[in-house]
Amino acid sequence: MSDAAKIQRPAAEVLYADELERLEQADADRDRPAGWRLSPGAVLDFVLGDDKRDIEPKFVGTRRFVERCVVALATNRGLMLIGEPGTAKSWLSELLCAAICRDSTLTIQGSASTTDDNIKYSWNYALLLAEGPSEKALVPAPVYRGMRDGKLVRFEEITRCPVEVQDALLSILSDRVMTLPELAGDARTLYARLGFNVIATANTRDRGVNEMSAALKRRLNFETVHPIPDLKQEMDLVRRQTDKLLARARVPVTLPPDLTETLVTTFHDLRSGKTAEGKAVEGPGTVMSTAEAVSVGYAAGLQAHYLGKGRIEADELVSNIVGTALKDDPDDLGKVRHYFDHVVRGRRGGQWKRWYAARKLLG
Amino acid sequence: MSVHFLGVRHHSPAAARHAGELIRRLRPAKVLIEGPWDFNPRIDELRLPHRPPVAIYTWVALPDGTRLGGCYPLCVYSPEWQAIRASFETGAELRFIDLPWADLADPSAALHRYADGELRRNPYVEKLCAELAVDGFDEAWDRLFEVDPDLDADAWTERCHLLCRFMREAGEVAARDRLRERFMACRIRDAVAEGGEVVVLTGGFHTSALRRLVEEGCEDVSLKPERQGEGRGICLMPYSYRVLDGLRGYDAGMPNPGFYHRVWEDRQAGLRDPWRGLLADVAHALRQRKQLVSAADLIAVETTARALAAIRGHAEVWRLDLLDGITGALVKDEIDPAALHPLLAACHDALRGDAIGELAEGTPLPALVLEVKERLAALDLTPTATGRRVRLDLHAPEDMDRAMLLHALQVLGVPGFRLDRAPAGVGEVAEERWTVGWTPGFEGRLVEASAYGATLVEACASRLLERAREVDRDALAAARLLRDACLAGIESVHGMLSARVAKLVQDDDDFTRVAAAAAEMLALFRYDPLLRAIGRDDVGQLLRDTWIRALALMMRLGVPPEPGPAVAGLAATVEVFERCELSLDLARDGLTTALERVAGDRVQLGMVRGAALGALWVLGARDGGQVDGSVGSFASPEELGDFLAGLFRTARELARRHPELLRQVDAALSGWVDDQFLEALPGMRLAFSAFTPREKHHLARALFESGEAPDLRVDAGAAARMLAFEAELFARVRRFGLRGER
Repeated sequence: MSDAAKIQRPAAEVLYADELERLEQADADRDRPAGWRLSPGAVLDFVLGDDKRDIEPKFVGTRRFVERCVVALATNRGLMLIGEPGTAKSWLSELLCAAICRDSTLTIQGSASTTDDNIKYSWNYALLLAEGPSEKALVPAPVYRGMRDGKLVRFEEITRCPVEVQDALLSILSDRVMTLPELAGDARTLYARLGFNVIATANTRDRGVNEMSAALKRRLNFETVHPIPDLKQEMDLVRRQTDKLLARARVPVTLPPDLTETLVTTFHDLRSGKTAEGKAVEGPGTVMSTAEAVSVGYAAGLQAHYLGKGRIEADELVSNIVGTALKDDPDDLGKVRHYFDHVVRGRRGGQWKRWYAARKLLG
Repeated sequence: MSVHFLGVRHHSPAAARHAGELIRRLRPAKVLIEGPWDFNPRIDELRLPHRPPVAIYTWVALPDGTRLGGCYPLCVYSPEWQAIRASFETGAELRFIDLPWADLADPSAALHRYADGELRRNPYVEKLCAELAVDGFDEAWDRLFEVDPDLDADAWTERCHLLCRFMREAGEVAARDRLRERFMACRIRDAVAEGGEVVVLTGGFHTSALRRLVEEGCEDVSLKPERQGEGRGICLMPYSYRVLDGLRGYDAGMPNPGFYHRVWEDRQAGLRDPWRGLLADVAHALRQRKQLVSAADLIAVETTARALAAIRGHAEVWRLDLLDGITGALVKDEIDPAALHPLLAACHDALRGDAIGELAEGTPLPALVLEVKERLAALDLTPTATGRRVRLDLHAPEDMDRAMLLHALQVLGVPGFRLDRAPAGVGEVAEERWTVGWTPGFEGRLVEASAYGATLVEACASRLLERAREVDRDALAAARLLRDACLAGIESVHGMLSARVAKLVQDDDDFTRVAAAAAEMLALFRYDPLLRAIGRDDVGQLLRDTWIRALALMMRLGVPPEPGPAVAGLAATVEVFERCELSLDLARDGLTTALERVAGDRVQLGMVRGAALGALWVLGARDGGQVDGSVGSFASPEELGDFLAGLFRTARELARRHPELLRQVDAALSGWVDDQFLEALPGMRLAFSAFTPREKHHLARALFESGEAPDLRVDAGAAARMLAFEAELFARVRRFGLRGER
């Protein structure tokens, strides 16, 4: 096993190194924003896929939407991706970084304990005490490195940070300069090289996170990442991802197509509040995202392999919906049961009868 | 043979420009346009100074009595409109050559005759979109034909010709279209035979076929004899961008008329960048709505929009570039796909435009006006200046027709028709009284209302839809809209109206309102023979959805401020279930689960719990013994009356025939001291008011016969003393003015 294969989850630029290489070569004489490794068109092809050049589609969304994201990064504003959990915001930000600067690792994980140090820079205190402030004693954080090298910086879950910490980005985004008062001479000011920008993500579902200041909002272009609207695309994705995860876990079980359809339709209906037949239905308060559907499929696969008959059936999937869909609000269980009682009950064909029969496992 | 074919996309401003230029340059003897052939006798009406958008509306009554209307909308930037203007200017003879609507109308045909919704599903278009890296046909079209102001006429025509040929080869050509093409080809051959130069303007999709058919000749299409003569009509009517932009599916044409209108005007004036004016409009609209849009914001919009135009290969910032620029740079919160963001709403308004067409003075009246006048005359309801009263017996079919017509006019807000009295409920005399009189606004309002639709039914449906848009999260108001639709005799609830009603029901979080809406719909669906909605599928579906929604809300019914409406709501859901379980496939489990939840909710009001328990009893989910057992848990003086009131509301008949329940109540009562009894009395009295005096008598007798009640007989003397005491008591109450009555 190679070193890369031992890594649980390699970064996108490693995973798709070959595609990036080919795109960059083909792209040599196309116009591109300063500091970018690929032209905007090639970035779009990398993210959305291109059959002719054998580029795998990696993100499901409209071209218009991805175009807006790419353009935002090429202007002097940052990009802010918002949306429900499980809509692949972070994945999109990783892909964009991999395509534009071949480095998706300049990442700040926002949380209540994030401080200025995690964003800009901190010190190697032993050196600082011994030699005083110097560039050698400085420990650069992602924004410092992004500015210095002209790369994109990812700021995950930015609204989890306190507002004053978020605001560290204000002057950096507008003036593109960072002042280091501890240092002397030229080192006192770090000017961002061309190519530097910020992709922030935040999810819209969590309560009790911090608001964002209007000043910072102004410096970011906001884009809402929507759940996949197309049932078939979502089915393909769920099946592909579930099977990939199961294969990685060395579980010889796959998600059958008819059950994928049943599972994804259920998630789709509950999420959109509208059934496939166009009837309105009330979904639970928790997110029924594509990612959650994948984890239901994955858990069902593990259960079938280790504890069941070795193949995924309606029972395994339905019983795992309880753990995924129903997290904090006890009403949610009622809403899912209501969906089974009134919508699933009337469906015919495929696995729907078994799906309905498995409703007893909803507890 | 000197025929010039110009294939266009309907509503394309670039095509409009080329059409006008071509005719002015060639000065042909005849101009043939894809328009309804049966309008030719009236074609000079188009010479009048109308203000577009206008439409040629044509309708036919099918053998089964349905009336189908087709519509040819003409905007100022339509190639047809510009070709019409140019022909009048150059003195060319103008003819429409499309097969009359009466000969091709069937319910599957697109009602918007200049629609190109089917192109969006063409396999070649799919490939083209992938090749051009755009999301849909409209963007592909813009990119190839509209954006570049410098694209010359020849290149444009060649491109359009190629695109249409490939689309035609890739997709199926409907039999209906082939028939039309044969008809059009024969009309072209007629015109050519008469001599002189001919310009033919049709949808580009038909051009290659027409060219071939004209060259080779083809069999003429004979018009359907049964559809000639009475039962059809054609006329001009005012149109609006709002209606044009609202068309969807197979009826969809080019979107965003306001945008293309501006493109047309700017390019006529030699200006570039039509988006600048639009952005100014949007900014203005937003500032009027007190939304802060700074100069810096506008700069950001412009930067983003221009960058998007650049990577999309647009020579100028176009429709979606602007929309996306605003989305990216101005919108700072989540965009919910189900609800239009207010910032984007302003943008959509600007792109849609608000132009409403106007017919010139002297144009014959729109079809709606004629239809209404005709029907009023046929039913002897023509309004007169003096006015009169009309009494309608709703059991008489002719009077029923009158009632529907009058209700429809009320929906449209036509003045002069007033409903003075209507039956208030089931069982009342089925009679309506109206006052009918002519007022000056009568015709004017009807002409205005033609913008809602060309027939009475269409216009009513759109007006109801508009009213439905004004309502928010109110299931009951939605149910009443449905009732108005039935009163006005709109046979099938317009698809969008019922979708909107369903949405209003779904958005309403109030259990009592949703349950009341279900009751209202049940009345429509099951009882009310006057409204003729009994058993109708669409109403049934709505009722089913409303009922399911009511159950979902019942599952999390909080403690209501007043028990009455909630109890009525529980009773309504049970009634809907009992009447429609089989016909609407309602789930018993779902209902009992929800009721169990309410019945078992310890913090819920006693009356509501009692009603839920009674409902479970009625549904057979509980038996009498279990209900008797529950009396014990409500046997406190403050609760017992409420509990019983609720129970009797839903299970009155069962309770009456189940004497054991009364014995349980009696046992509870007997254990109380006087103060407790007095506290419980008002509630108990209310509870037993559910029964008629005779029933109460039987209940009491059953109780006495069981031997558990004390002997309450008194002698005449005691009774007289009682009466005297009571009289004295009431006299004092009156004297001190403690109760106002009598």
